Amino acid sequence: MDLSKRKNFYYIFSFAICFIIAGRLVQLQLINPDKFDKDAERNSVKTIVTTPARGLFFDRNGRLLVDNKPSYSVTVTKKEFDTTRMPTICSLLGIDEQYLREELKKIEGTNRFIPTRIMRDVDFRVISFIEENRELLKGIDYSIDPIRLYPTDFRGSHLIGYTKEISQGSLKKQQNDYYKQGDLIGTTGLEAGYENYLRGEKGYEFILQDSKGREVGPLNDGNNDVKAVSGYDLVLSIDAEVQKYAENLLKGRTGGIVAIDPTNGEVICMVSKPDYDLNYFSGKLSPEIWNSLNTDPDKPLFNRATQTRYPPGSTYKMVSAIASLQEGILKPNSTIPCEGSFRFGDKVFKDHGAFGSITIPTSIEHSSNVFYYKLVLKIGLDNWTKYGRMFSFGNKTGIDIPEETKGLLPSTEYYNKVYGPKGWTQGYVVSLGIGQGELGVSPLQMAVYTSILANSGTFFQPHLVRFLKNPNTGELTPVNYKRTELPVNKEYFGLVQKGMYLVVNGNGTARGVRTSEVSISGKTGTAQNPHGRDHSWFIAYAPSDNPKIAVCVMVENAGFGATVAAPIAQRIILKYLFGVNDESDVKEISGHTD
Amino acid sequence: MQVKLFERFNFVVFISALSLISFGLVAIYSATYGNELVSGNFTKQLVSAVIGIVIVIAIMYTPPKFIAMSSYLFYGLVILMLIAVLFLGKKIKGQTSWFSIGGFGIQPSEFAKVATVLALAFFLSNKSQDTDIKKPRDFFFAVGICLLPVALIMLQPDMGTTLVFLVLILPVLYWAGMPNYIMFFIAAPAITAVCAYLGTWYFVSAVVFIIAMMFVFKRNLLISAVIVCITIASGLSVNMVYSKLQPYQQRRIVSMFDPESDPLGAGYNVIQSKIAIGSGGLTGKGFLQGTQTQLKYIPEQWTDFIFCMVGEEFGFAGSIVVVLLFFVLIWQTIHIAYICKNQFLSICCIGFATIFSFHVLINLGMIMGIMPVIGIPLPFMSYGVSFLLSNLIMLGLILNAYRNRKDYV
Repeated sequence: MDLSKRKNFYYIFSFAICFIIAGRLVQLQLINPDKFDKDAERNSVKTIVTTPARGLFFDRNGRLLVDNKPSYSVTVTKKEFDTTRMPTICSLLGIDEQYLREELKKIEGTNRFIPTRIMRDVDFRVISFIEENRELLKGIDYSIDPIRLYPTDFRGSHLIGYTKEISQGSLKKQQNDYYKQGDLIGTTGLEAGYENYLRGEKGYEFILQDSKGREVGPLNDGNNDVKAVSGYDLVLSIDAEVQKYAENLLKGRTGGIVAIDPTNGEVICMVSKPDYDLNYFSGKLSPEIWNSLNTDPDKPLFNRATQTRYPPGSTYKMVSAIASLQEGILKPNSTIPCEGSFRFGDKVFKDHGAFGSITIPTSIEHSSNVFYYKLVLKIGLDNWTKYGRMFSFGNKTGIDIPEETKGLLPSTEYYNKVYGPKGWTQGYVVSLGIGQGELGVSPLQMAVYTSILANSGTFFQPHLVRFLKNPNTGELTPVNYKRTELPVNKEYFGLVQKGMYLVVNGNGTARGVRTSEVSISGKTGTAQNPHGRDHSWFIAYAPSDNPKIAVCVMVENAGFGATVAAPIAQRIILKYLFGVNDESDVKEISGHTD
Repeated sequence: MQVKLFERFNFVVFISALSLISFGLVAIYSATYGNELVSGNFTKQLVSAVIGIVIVIAIMYTPPKFIAMSSYLFYGLVILMLIAVLFLGKKIKGQTSWFSIGGFGIQPSEFAKVATVLALAFFLSNKSQDTDIKKPRDFFFAVGICLLPVALIMLQPDMGTTLVFLVLILPVLYWAGMPNYIMFFIAAPAITAVCAYLGTWYFVSAVVFIIAMMFVFKRNLLISAVIVCITIASGLSVNMVYSKLQPYQQRRIVSMFDPESDPLGAGYNVIQSKIAIGSGGLTGKGFLQGTQTQLKYIPEQWTDFIFCMVGEEFGFAGSIVVVLLFFVLIWQTIHIAYICKNQFLSICCIGFATIFSFHVLINLGMIMGIMPVIGIPLPFMSYGVSFLLSNLIMLGLILNAYRNRKDYV
């Protein structure tokens, strides 16, 4: 090997490397040192984060529901902050030293050049104080952050949701490092469901400071600055008037209401009571309020419209009716004798009357129990479960807020798992026939179910948002939602619809809510409650021949469905269709006067 | 006696390395001055340096045969540590690169640099097995020795360090007798890929250049055609892969080559370090007087950005001394590689010279804004116990090669 030649390559390379480095040194340090000198002098670059305006919410008629207002936050920039000055700074700002220490601990390991919020929604006096005492308060600054303002006269707590400071856990889990300590993030409701659209993109300005903290000018003439991009506005399908009205109707009670447009799955109103004031979460949330909301036995943070899991009672009977027709177990004109009670094994299941041999519409009209005890045994558990699933029971409906329960739709596998393959009998299935037992559903699922019954077999993914609106161009982007057709003959829906019509307009269980203005179809239900008074259900849609609204009302511990839930549903339907707004209605039903 | 001492001990290499370590200590002292959190770094580095010099002397007197025989053992041990660190290591800034044993932080990837060179040198100089680098089997074995640590270090992930191992391959194989044309065939796709990233015209000229070189080497037509095709494919795939990357990944690559496009992240440090060095001028601002250094504009300056302190506080005068010391050290190492008759030690020296050169080029280039932002430290100067010890082991081996330069093995 002739290494004497080869070694020259290595010499040349090493010489070239050192030559390049030395050349660059000459260029930087000898040719143009003044430029860098000046840069070094005024070098400290201050980064200002500009928080984009969070998207606004509008209702279906363009009414502003959620707005922003400016608030002031105190920030600390670690690079400039002198920890030995802590006591002075704390006393000047009037904060506890321990608090500041904890806040600083939280931001350990983050970018030292970016200011981090330590106090939110502070008084303007504090801000003017910071302005006057910049020299003493090095590293302390303030930022203007938009916070939420709710210019409405209703609450909408669960559907709008709130933003909170991002938790340590979420900060660590995030994918691309967008959020910083102290940033707000949508935590519940639509604020969470549309977080990525609502938040916008943060902007950054780079400002050169001299060593005394005075601003000298923008870095690189502002060419490196990144402009904040405002978030998308949401145009909701909610009708603010109906929402407010529905909230008032449920005032003082515990329960949930969901109304859906059966032609497209748009949610018209969604109420969960008791609720809470969203203003608590705008600005700084006091720990006392947060604790009291969390420990309240009425659970105001819980969304009863989408997260409860109660048996639907008789409102569920239409599932069996549809299943039996589609599976050919009953012909449209078949009858079943209803004797007033039903013996299965050594157990007797009661009914509230003997109706003779009746057809499906009549069975719905009178809400016969025996009819459905017998029917569910004929259908069998597997088919019963299959049809329940078609109506989206036992599954999330896919509504655009994160809080939603799947509910519980019992199946053979479920019973085998819970009781063992031999540990349960067909007697368990009998109760399911009338919507009792393990079956658990939410008002939202019931509203979706009602709208499928109303539109004769089309499932629309329920959604609260119609459009995303670009705040700059005003351009509207429609929100995508799923639409599926149930594999059921449309004619069979007609029979069920007839029964639901008779419930209100015949001799049925909800004839009390019959009204001359519009024909309403509905179904009452009562959920057996082992812990107290039964829960009251009512589902309805109207007008019967051309449904425009499907509504589900669930009131906890209110007894029979027809007495409390049905009148509320009727008022909401009238309000939505005709804008009737009689305040005495509200008082009469809710039993409340303000 | 004097003559005898010089005969067996290379003062030039030893003194330049020692001077670099001293410069490093001064710089670390200044960079951590008044910073409570890291005030212990200077002492730690000083203690490591003292222990390291004892190790240097020990290695220098170890019989070369013994070193050669334990090369694979050392390599195997390091590979095990690289695997262990993935499970037991501490995650710092997204990298799992070190773990602590009995209170000492160990970064196995630093020792892997030495071990890989040793294993590679042992394999290439192995007379008993008659290694012939022109044989595909031996060639791939040699490349495999380098790629195994690369794969493990990529899992940490520490991309900067993996580059060191990739860069090793060509200079070491060339020294071990790889023919020119094979060298060229290996380098061609890599060159084309980088050119393709830079732009179409770079890519086209690279391809034209490679086709021209095919005529120079006058190899078999089929082989030449295959090489050209592979080259073009590697160039084309770069843009394809690039376009498939997520936007944030693309941004990271862009900011590697153009730091100032990302003034918040990688670019911030480079903007700051350029200002620090530039503002040093001819004679610097004086020890502990650098505003950039003392006001802590550059985060963790005592590691990768240690040279900023030299540039700012000692100016061009200090900086050029450091560059010259590196030049002398590397030049001498190459010279020792040439005069050393023991092929194992000779290849080791070339490997170490390559590692030093690459670190100096990338680190100083990055700090002065002419190289992509790849986080690798500056030999002998950057703070880091494992890094300093691994550099000193290399120094010990270089001195050993000089001491035993006349022994054929």
